[in-house]
Amino acid sequence: MKASQKKAASLLMIGTLLVAAGCSDRLESDRSSSPDESPEKAIAPMTITFASGDNNPLWDDMQSEVGKFITEKTGISIKAQFPGNNTDTDMFALMVASNEYPDMVSAKVSVGKLKDAGALIDLTPLIDAHAPNIKKLYGEYMKRLRWSNDDHGIYVLPTAPVNQTYFKAGSGFELQHAVLKELGYPQIKTVKDFEHALKTYYNKHKTTADGQPIIPLSLNGGEWQFLISVTNPAVAATGASDDGEFYIDPDTYEAKLHYLRPEEKEYFRWLNHMHDIGLLDPESFVQKVGQYRAKIASGRVLGLIDADWDFAGEVAALKKEGKIDQTYAHFPVTLNESFKRHDFQSTGYLAGIGISITKSAKDPVRVIQFLDYLASDEGQILINWGIEGKHYKVENGKRVIPEDISKMKVKDNWNFRKTTGVDMYRFGPSYGDGVKDPTGNYYTPVFPEQIEKEYTQADRETLAAYKVKSYKDLWPSEKQFPVKPWGSAWTINMETGSEANVIFQQCQAIVKKRITQAILSKPEQFDAIWDDFMKELEKAGVEKLNEAYTKLVKDRVKLWNE
Amino acid sequence: MKPLTEGTLEAGSTLKRNRFWFKAYQQRYLYMMSLPFVIWIFIFSYVPIWGWITAFQNYKPKDSIFDQKWVGFDNFIELFQDERFYIVLRNTLAMSTMGLLVGFTVPVIFALLLNEMRGQFFKRSVQTISYLPHFVSWVVVAGLVYKMLSTDGGAVNQLLMWLNIIDQPIQFMAKGNLFWGIVTASDLWKEMGWSSIIFLAAMAGIDPELYEASTVDGAGRFRKMWHITLPGIRTTFMVLFILSIGHLISIGFEKQFLLGNPLVADYSEVFDLYALKYGIQMSRYSYGTAIGIVNSVVSILLVFIANGIYKRVTKETVI
Repeated sequence: MKASQKKAASLLMIGTLLVAAGCSDRLESDRSSSPDESPEKAIAPMTITFASGDNNPLWDDMQSEVGKFITEKTGISIKAQFPGNNTDTDMFALMVASNEYPDMVSAKVSVGKLKDAGALIDLTPLIDAHAPNIKKLYGEYMKRLRWSNDDHGIYVLPTAPVNQTYFKAGSGFELQHAVLKELGYPQIKTVKDFEHALKTYYNKHKTTADGQPIIPLSLNGGEWQFLISVTNPAVAATGASDDGEFYIDPDTYEAKLHYLRPEEKEYFRWLNHMHDIGLLDPESFVQKVGQYRAKIASGRVLGLIDADWDFAGEVAALKKEGKIDQTYAHFPVTLNESFKRHDFQSTGYLAGIGISITKSAKDPVRVIQFLDYLASDEGQILINWGIEGKHYKVENGKRVIPEDISKMKVKDNWNFRKTTGVDMYRFGPSYGDGVKDPTGNYYTPVFPEQIEKEYTQADRETLAAYKVKSYKDLWPSEKQFPVKPWGSAWTINMETGSEANVIFQQCQAIVKKRITQAILSKPEQFDAIWDDFMKELEKAGVEKLNEAYTKLVKDRVKLWNE
Repeated sequence: MKPLTEGTLEAGSTLKRNRFWFKAYQQRYLYMMSLPFVIWIFIFSYVPIWGWITAFQNYKPKDSIFDQKWVGFDNFIELFQDERFYIVLRNTLAMSTMGLLVGFTVPVIFALLLNEMRGQFFKRSVQTISYLPHFVSWVVVAGLVYKMLSTDGGAVNQLLMWLNIIDQPIQFMAKGNLFWGIVTASDLWKEMGWSSIIFLAAMAGIDPELYEASTVDGAGRFRKMWHITLPGIRTTFMVLFILSIGHLISIGFEKQFLLGNPLVADYSEVFDLYALKYGIQMSRYSYGTAIGIVNSVVSILLVFIANGIYKRVTKETVI
């Protein structure tokens, strides 16, 4: 009796093991036999898996109104994954390490890594055979889609909108309308003006109307947005154009880490001064993004130096609560009068970052057809405007957004985008703002008349006071600057794991540490810390990095302009 | 034993072998039952070691493992020449040693005190409440810690100000020299109750007669704790202690990653974070593997040293 019990137990154990092994085998074979051979391919339902490097908290796997409409039209539904709490680089690094990919990726800066690992397929034959709309959309820029001088294949469909005209200024320095109103709309051109405005207002008000302590200036410096809120503004405020972590000499194409520019030292000295006189939030470099955003949403941060997309949700929340005076106006602030902000200098068409199809895609033809549909006139209008009769109407041949929808869009942007799905599916190729379709309407609802409609009362008062139609008019126009032949350097990727790449990573760590220290130190220690910073960069091999990057920039110029 | 001594040496050894097979046959079901686990361990713990050869290559995921470029010890040389490696090693060992010391003494004391409780209901509730934080994710804990230590209305600063101990809020999270302490303290808060469970279980297993006997001999509470309870959990304690020494170097990076910021980077970077940043994140799989190998070697060394010391002191061994 006892022996048979033992026997049964051991057999059961082994049996379980075998079944487990058998199960995984079956799954494997199921997957390999799945490609469906049905003749009605074009509308047969299919799910495309998609990994996006940009978080989208609104994503709902195409359950919104527009999403369902797209699924109806194409049979495609998309299952997306996002980095969540991780960084996008981690997500893709792990993907490469495990050699398992979704059908589609939007890999951002990791695209080189995926390409090196052989994960991306060349889209040239697919585009030629199945994607007339994509071809039409990119038009003369098709050349810029080529990978490199050695490999002319197309691995990425860039998502940067084609022929975009910028009507909105989302960068620069931000001040609450309340501050401007109280001070009688003073001139805000230099960091001194900005500082003065904050100081004057803060001296009079230490708390908000609902009794919370006011923070004059807070930076989003605790996480990766350090680049956006702390270091990029140093470049912009000292009259250089945005080339990521580098400065590119416009004549010689020599690249160098932009911190090596002496002008920037003075910008950081000003931040140091702001900290010294107590205007800079001491938590600027330790706070998590959530903390930073919570402060903005409470309406107690007077000034910001950030890009509008970094706090758009919080501004929407402020509007929803009716605190429109606590939302922000944008100003092209520079270190002093001698600099001009290059924010709107044209880069030409900025290929580089976009969507790719991986070698794991079961049916790449369906995927490209889907992207082609989104790039068609019908698809573009659908993702930008919504469904006709529901989210927009056509009156006398012009697309208009009805009053109630427009109101929701301004006051409750979050819910508007979530329920309608407008603006949510722009992960493929797209036309830029200001481009007109064959009917003479704009492809996107971002054009001067529409923007003006969406201004709040506070925006209108501020703009009227400065005698401009939009914040962008405060900036130097793009016509003042030549087109940059290398596009923008932040779209140029270094070879992953190369020596330059390692040096770059080390320099980034040094930059984060030293810049923060320099800003938070006593003013008399600033120079010493800055000198150490420079020495450390040198020791890490910044010269070699500059050389390697210069070569990349020159290669890019050749690839795009030959 | 008898037939063995009687036979010749040769016969003895065949007999011995026979006995082995006989015993093996007798215990065949036990062997069969353990087989799945042996296979499991083999597959998950030994097969992956095969990947170590990538540390001596310049591994690119595109090609098969046989087409890679061999680079000898280059990755190790680079690792040992990187000064950051030593900072990282220091941080890892410092934080894990602190965590180990505090993380063992406090739960033992806590378990001792709890063990002395009379009321079952109270004891159970305290125990449950104390181990609940174990189930809270580090992301949430890091958020809490940041909020508590914030200068902008953080509870700790407000308390210290109210007690007039300080007159300016302290920037806890911006001070490198406080970072190790903050990590240890938050780890303690999170894990104290959980780690004490096993000690409580060991204490429950102590023979009550021992306590009765010592009561008769006139021992008080503290004497009983010292002479009966503590020796009673000694073996459990030592096994756990030596095992966690094996994990000293692989403390993970969650807490350091979530609690760290650029200002305290010199104190917050740990081994796994280093491997992530300079290995996987940059697709330098070979370098990452080299870091992993060093990690394992150091761990094994630490375990043997700890066990050696224990053996010398107590004449017992756990491994």
